[in-house]
Amino acid sequence: MSDTSILTITGLRAKVADEDLDILMGVDLEIRPGQIHTIMGPNGSGKSTLAKVLAGHPDYEVTGGDVVFNGQSILDLEPNERALAGMFLAFQYPTEIPGVSIANFLRTALQARLEDGEEVDLFDFQEELLDRMKLLDMDPAFAERPVNDGFSGGEKKRNEILQMAVLRPTLALMDETDSGLDIDALQIVANGVNTLREENPDMTVLLITHYQRMLNYIKPDAVHVMVGGRIVRSGGPEVAIALEEQGYADWKEQDKDEGQEEEQQQQVVTA
Amino acid sequence: MSSSPRAAEAPVAEEDTPSSLDESAVESISRGAPSWLSERRRHAWSVFEDTPLPSTRSEEWRYTDVSRVVDFADLRLAPDGMPAENGSRPAGLTAAMEEDLAASGHAVLVDGNVVHVDLDPALEEQGVILTSLRTAVNEHVGLLEELLATEVLPPEEGKFQALNAALWSDGVLLYVPPNVKLDLPVRATRWLSHAGSAVFARTLIVAEPGSQVSYVEELLSEDFDKRTLVSSAVEVVARDGAQIQYVSVQRLGRGVFCQSAQRTLAHRDSKLDTLNVNLGASVTRLDLNAQLLGAGAHSEMLGLYFGDQDQHFDHNTSQDHVAPDTGSDLLYKGALDDRAQAAFRGIIRVHPDAQRTDAYQTNRNLLLSDECRANSLPNLEIQADDVKCSHGATVGQLDSEALFYLLSRGLSREQAERLVVLGFLGDVMARLPLGGVVEKVTRAIERKLEHV
Repeated sequence: MSDTSILTITGLRAKVADEDLDILMGVDLEIRPGQIHTIMGPNGSGKSTLAKVLAGHPDYEVTGGDVVFNGQSILDLEPNERALAGMFLAFQYPTEIPGVSIANFLRTALQARLEDGEEVDLFDFQEELLDRMKLLDMDPAFAERPVNDGFSGGEKKRNEILQMAVLRPTLALMDETDSGLDIDALQIVANGVNTLREENPDMTVLLITHYQRMLNYIKPDAVHVMVGGRIVRSGGPEVAIALEEQGYADWKEQDKDEGQEEEQQQQVVTA
Repeated sequence: MSSSPRAAEAPVAEEDTPSSLDESAVESISRGAPSWLSERRRHAWSVFEDTPLPSTRSEEWRYTDVSRVVDFADLRLAPDGMPAENGSRPAGLTAAMEEDLAASGHAVLVDGNVVHVDLDPALEEQGVILTSLRTAVNEHVGLLEELLATEVLPPEEGKFQALNAALWSDGVLLYVPPNVKLDLPVRATRWLSHAGSAVFARTLIVAEPGSQVSYVEELLSEDFDKRTLVSSAVEVVARDGAQIQYVSVQRLGRGVFCQSAQRTLAHRDSKLDTLNVNLGASVTRLDLNAQLLGAGAHSEMLGLYFGDQDQHFDHNTSQDHVAPDTGSDLLYKGALDDRAQAAFRGIIRVHPDAQRTDAYQTNRNLLLSDECRANSLPNLEIQADDVKCSHGATVGQLDSEALFYLLSRGLSREQAERLVVLGFLGDVMARLPLGGVVEKVTRAIERKLEHV
């Protein structure tokens, strides 16, 4: 099973849909089932764009390459079809949906996974939801709140983890889930991911982060460094440790042709 | 109940030769009626004739070109045929009635005429009156002479108000004596069956001091290929300390121009709330005026609309604070799809004596397509100096980020829209929780979303 890859990205190029602005410049990546891969990189390197392109965000247009998920090329699939195929994007900035409770939202999402004419059984769903919230050590009252409406940054991220727990994806894309979180919230979120992985070791995770600190809690099998829309280095956890010590400065040297992004990256490094 | 004296005298021939909207129709409908009523109809007709058709040049009709919506010469009064009590009722009507079993009483109107009334006998014993206006004209003369189309909604209010006062065929009287409280709502179902017809009906609700009642009416029809007019005049009076909830759920078919004029009079310490749900018809025009006439009176004014295709909604509301220490809170929310349009024009008027008024007015719109449009004109006119008033309007789009969020969880576009629209409109219904109404409206919105 682990010999076949769950996600294979080859030469993926993408630009902003309405502009002539290239962001992904040929990304290659292969992930095997059950692995945790991390993509790190400075602001503007394209790592968040990669997550959105994989999930099918309409703001981006793929101009080259391919993405094969679970043996199927997914670039022609709608975002909801990718979700039904087992993909889940944990958002960096989850959207508010006023007046819609988390429970109602999740019930509808499960309903979407059923054949026409089938209905989610309300009692089974309630039981499942309570069970998932218990697993994540969450207060059941949380599910009655409107989705992300008036949530703190930490609550929004916990809500993403809860959705992941209920929807049970085969591949979880986590887009800077750690940004804007204090250390307590970060730990709660990381514990959630680890709990779900313990429960289902086959769940694959692509963790996109700016900081090494998330990796204190979630141990990756591979670390990739993304600069200027490309993966410029891949390796084990030692890559992240090197980054923490040296910053991204070394990688800029390999990326001279991306002159316009240099200034921005410099700021990040010194920050 | 269906064979009122007036109905019995109506010539059978009327069924075959529906009459035009003219003076002879006024004479024909007045035949056998008491003279005060005939006089009132004739006066209303003269007001109608003297009042020009509203034009888009007038501020109140800026967003609805009524000359393109209605042609009085083309319309015929709906025939006076009365379907048998339990005979061949249209499926749409019986389906709606079956949802309304939990009630203090029912009234069923077909083409503007009451065909069925029932009321809990215990309430009848306490003096509650639920009857057709045709019956009330003879049996409750005092009430009607005082209130019907005079004090509350006089013909001078406008072209359509005058036409309704001249040509109304029937309607409902609901009267609640002092201190009588109805636990369950009174439900009225109004069905329209004739394409190209004009239907004029009235509703008069009077709650005496300390009484309590809620009234839910639903307007229904099939789709029509001819322009059809449904005109309603709704007069609601809450005496001192009375509590009234008035709800209208409009699910008329396409081809209908639904014109409704409503006025509520809230006396001292009364609570008079309204909810207008507009989902159907091609064109909907609502004129709603809330009068806060006695200290301590409060009115919650809720509105909800959801339009698709070429539907057009025009809500014209006013909150008149006449007495001090009164409150009103208006919230109208609507979602629009396809090429649907909505206009909201609302004004809070605080009269010179109405110190310590608390008045709010909010209109929010959610646009689901690039072609739909919403216009909002909130307004304030304050003549007292110690008041708390606010108004606000928003027009928002279902933004692509929110939609992507929902799609990324596996929801189809239809499921995502359903969730967002029901979430957006839900807080309006939550503010007036009446048995069965939330479910009824939710189902109606869901049915509509399925066609999107």
